[in-house]
Amino acid sequence: MKEMSKDTTAGAANRHRIADGSPLGANSEIARKLKQYYDELVSDNVPDRFAQLLSQLEQAEPAQKKD
Amino acid sequence: MAAVSQNFKTELLGAIPSLRAFAVSLTQNADKADDLVQETLVKAWDKHESFQPGTNLKAWLFTILRNEFYSQMRKRGREVQDSDGIMTARLAVHPAQHGQLDLKDFRGALEQLPEDQREAIILIGASGFSYEEAAEICGCAVGTIKSRVSRARTRLQEILKISGEDEFGPDAISAQVTGSNAA
Repeated sequence: MKEMSKDTTAGAANRHRIADGSPLGANSEIARKLKQYYDELVSDNVPDRFAQLLSQLEQAEPAQKKD
Repeated sequence: MAAVSQNFKTELLGAIPSLRAFAVSLTQNADKADDLVQETLVKAWDKHESFQPGTNLKAWLFTILRNEFYSQMRKRGREVQDSDGIMTARLAVHPAQHGQLDLKDFRGALEQLPEDQREAIILIGASGFSYEEAAEICGCAVGTIKSRVSRARTRLQEILKISGEDEFGPDAISAQVTGSNAA
């Protein structure tokens, strides 16, 4: 009985320890899903409107000599 | 006014995928996210002279985007988020088998976090920023970012009904995979 309660205490202590010392825990399921979620967003095709926008901004600049 | 350098323009273009990902994370809406990115690019262009070459352009752009997001939110009240009712459709989350967590469920859980927690966990856990950089982007203390990340993680675990995953301990293989990777 006493040994069992010791084990429980050790288990609880382990649960509070986060693997890499950061609040997120780099090895956690949450951390992996977060990466997956974000990587999917980053790899989305960029619409042309953004390249067009930058070209427009460039052209709208006060006449600059190309040098 | 000095001309915007070609290099600056190229770097802006290169940052767009990350900006869009961060914008979607904040707004939870693809159209609003792209409008936000557009505003960010225009602002960045206008104030390019205030960018210090050699410093982190991505962090500078994220700061602009984030400021723009919150200023729009203040203007429009709280309707910026979830005005299309995407969130309500995803509220029901089934208990996940360990390691079998569905990405759609995860997205739904992320949407339920308060903005400050969501942005903190995204900046740290996904965008690859350090705590110091994230604190600078959000204009708060490093300790505040840490506590937001910690609360976000706890909240996500609750929503997704993942319990006590720390007891599995460090895993050498995933530790290698999850190296710092600024996307």
